[in-house]
Amino acid sequence: MASFSLGKTMKYILLIFFALLFLMPVYVIIVTSLKPLDEVSLEHMWALPSSIDFSSYVQAVKELAPNFMNSVYLVIPATLLSALLGAMNGYVLSKWKFKGSETLFTFILFGMFIPYQSILIPMIQFIRSIGLYDTIPGLVLVHVVYGLPITTLMFRNFYANIPDQMIEAAKIDGASFLGVFRHIMVPLSITGFVVVAIWQFTNIWNEFLFAVTVTTNETQPVMVALQNLSGSQIVQWNVQMAGAVIAALPTLLIYILLGKYFVRGLLAGSVKG
Amino acid sequence: MELAEHKKRNRRKMTKDHWTAVAFLIPSVILILIFVYGFIAWTGYVSVSNWSTLVPDFSFAGLQNYISLFQDYRFQSDLRNTIFFTIFFIGLVIVMGLGLGILIDQKLKGESLFRNIFLFPMALSFIVTGVVWQWLLNPSTGFNQFLKFFGITPKWYTDTNILAGFEWGQIEFGVPVAIIAVVIAAAWQMTGFSLAMYLAGLRGVPDELREAARMDGASEFQIYRKVVIPMLMPITVSVIIIMAHMSLKIFDLIYAMTGSGANFVTDVPAVYMYETTFKGNNYANGAAIAIIMLLVVAVFIVPYLWNSRKGDH
Amino acid sequence: MKHVELIGVSKSFEKQQNVLNEIDLSIEKGEFFVLVGPSGSGKSTLLRMIAGLEDITGGILKISDKTVNHLPPKDRNLSMVFQNYALYPHLTVEQNILFGLHVKKTPKKEQQKRLKETADMMGLTELLKRKPKELSGGQRQRVALARSVVSESPICLMDEPLSNLDAKLRAHMRIEIRRLQKKLGLTMIYVTHDQVEAMTMGDRIMVLNEGKIQQVGKPITLYNKPANLFVASFIGSPKMNMGKAVFSNQQLIIEDKLHLSLDRAEAAGIPKDKNLNIGIRAEHIFPGTHDNTTHELEVINVEQLGNETLITFEIGKELWTAKWLGQWNVHTGDKVAVSISMKNMSFFDADSGLLIKPASAEREQEVVAI
Repeated sequence: MASFSLGKTMKYILLIFFALLFLMPVYVIIVTSLKPLDEVSLEHMWALPSSIDFSSYVQAVKELAPNFMNSVYLVIPATLLSALLGAMNGYVLSKWKFKGSETLFTFILFGMFIPYQSILIPMIQFIRSIGLYDTIPGLVLVHVVYGLPITTLMFRNFYANIPDQMIEAAKIDGASFLGVFRHIMVPLSITGFVVVAIWQFTNIWNEFLFAVTVTTNETQPVMVALQNLSGSQIVQWNVQMAGAVIAALPTLLIYILLGKYFVRGLLAGSVKG
Repeated sequence: MELAEHKKRNRRKMTKDHWTAVAFLIPSVILILIFVYGFIAWTGYVSVSNWSTLVPDFSFAGLQNYISLFQDYRFQSDLRNTIFFTIFFIGLVIVMGLGLGILIDQKLKGESLFRNIFLFPMALSFIVTGVVWQWLLNPSTGFNQFLKFFGITPKWYTDTNILAGFEWGQIEFGVPVAIIAVVIAAAWQMTGFSLAMYLAGLRGVPDELREAARMDGASEFQIYRKVVIPMLMPITVSVIIIMAHMSLKIFDLIYAMTGSGANFVTDVPAVYMYETTFKGNNYANGAAIAIIMLLVVAVFIVPYLWNSRKGDH
Repeated sequence: MKHVELIGVSKSFEKQQNVLNEIDLSIEKGEFFVLVGPSGSGKSTLLRMIAGLEDITGGILKISDKTVNHLPPKDRNLSMVFQNYALYPHLTVEQNILFGLHVKKTPKKEQQKRLKETADMMGLTELLKRKPKELSGGQRQRVALARSVVSESPICLMDEPLSNLDAKLRAHMRIEIRRLQKKLGLTMIYVTHDQVEAMTMGDRIMVLNEGKIQQVGKPITLYNKPANLFVASFIGSPKMNMGKAVFSNQQLIIEDKLHLSLDRAEAAGIPKDKNLNIGIRAEHIFPGTHDNTTHELEVINVEQLGNETLITFEIGKELWTAKWLGQWNVHTGDKVAVSISMKNMSFFDADSGLLIKPASAEREQEVVAI
């Protein structure tokens, strides 16, 4: 009684149709990456491989491995640092409201929306001047700074859901600012940290603009290396597809295993707390 | 006497807490001040300079860089491309997100499976998406293998056609067919976002409201049109703003999928900025493009942020 | 004329069987019919089945002699007022009221005419351009009612419409709704968990418990002759005083504590060998006077309401409350003289819960209209 009059079968058909449409690229990537080079031809893109050949993966790993590790060295510190700073800011801005705290928050939040092109030139000059150009730590610094607005937003919204009365009870019990943070906020923040960490991990791992301007060659993270692969003279599609799979694996795994938190992070991006 | 003492002690404790709070915030505030606002100002400074080679040249150029940009063939193409990309991209994402959301909301089985399928592209990098769709929408491969059976073989992103074009400045102002290819790839990636938002919103429409409408005599279709979708308006606005700000800045996807394209049919300001600054060393030009991008984004974002802030009071 | 009829209606959900069991019911045209019962009794489900918002698992539902089991809500010519009012937040009061007519494509002139009449009747003329969030609880309730009125459906369903209002407003709205119903001649089917609402508003009431009908009838009938233990304790405030009772040695012994001398005439017809429960209303535990005192009981609680005094005694395992008009100078711990007699007691079969013998009918006080 209580649904669309379009007929249940019709709805299933529509959903399945679109689901297949969305999954088609996955099919193509996987199928192409498992073909030996001679089978990779434009006419037979949709055909299944005659035999499963991992040689393209072997080659892709060879090409991308060092850059893959660069991404790892980049993402972990950058995620942890920006999450920590975000938690500190979020705590203050949600629980210790003072005159102008909203304006300050908006001031910080604006940084999330700016096109990074508008700070890119001075950023490169700055990184060069402190000797961190073409280094992973330099890239970490960049991501920590520009990750501040989004992590602050996410933690502020997260903490806003912790009832004020809990804080007030703690204050009456004698807890100071730091005490409340240590004994109440942090223990309750595990979910918040997971959501923010997943979000930052995904974004920083997938990021390209900073990666391609701050680092070169051997220091480059995996996404830049992947792009270079496809820009090379001879296009080996199977290696490219294998490379894409490898580069996408970490964020995909996180999505598959921790999808619930991923979605929460997504929704936290709508500003209205 | 005691009361005054107590008050003073409280104020002192408050101040200590107050200082700790400030200490928590200060590092971030300083970082943002310098790295966001300071750097923007610096970029603005560069944009009115003459720095166009490896060697910095800060002599004052006034608005010359901006004027040349707006007369530049490539930049005009960029503006045109961005306008149409934004319109089609947002349109497609909203229609798909809302449509799929309503379908999934129908209490069918396998709801989380479908949701996960539509959402997973969001975990991917634009680079991965670009690389894959370059392959998929390559005129000699991909979908054209199917479409061959229907007798159509679109040229996708290699098509230099401009639909309904009329002369405007230096360029032909119309819909570059090639941009459709990029729109499809971008929508594939981002529909999940609007879907997630709409699903959350649909859950927020109370059952009682739909039942009251049923009692009032509305058909299911009317209920969606007159009750549910209007109630989702705030979400639609949020999605538009967030997608718009993303599409105005888009870089990775274009760079990986098509580059600027023949005759700049898929070029966008972000790509132009990158190439002119880091390949051509024309820093002043790049800075000017960056500032224009910033101003356009600000037109959307500043009212949005201002409104959210008022809501919190 | 039977306006709404239920024949053997049952309802089961996937997760719960027999939420409603073989309900037989008929409601007359123009009647104010109340469905009352505790939470989970199935009363809202029953209402929603009549509305068409829930499927009917078994049995037949007829409206105006037509079987309507499979008819969607919009074809049943009903209107409904929801507990949380269900006002469309994005529409003005005017648009809210006219939504149904708008959707059914009623001609504009007719819409405006009905709108004006309804707005005047409900006192909403000043509020037509406002949005629901700008209205108070009572105003929102009136808009929900207006939506029903404007539809001119002969049958109106109400699902606990007053439960979100404060006590004073509730008392006022009870009268308003009753007046509205009489004025428009609507057949009203009203669901509530509040037995006071049921008693004061219904022409007839139906007490439901765990999906089964306990009793149907006029409120005063249910009060004086409750069909079983459940109805006896559900209807009436304060609750009817209950206790286990046993006949022994020419006496009626209640809760092993209270002894009453046997009144032959009253005890006739009551099987002495069954397990018995008795019930006696609070107002029938009279203050003891010089010549009619039957017991002296110790007071364990006193409530002064100003117009009456509620005094609680411990009777075996039960707490009994007496209601005495006026302000009595009684305190906790006092021993107080009371007058309790068998003729004010209702007798129930303790095992089946059914009524064996009601309390002797009070003389009905007739008011002579001049």
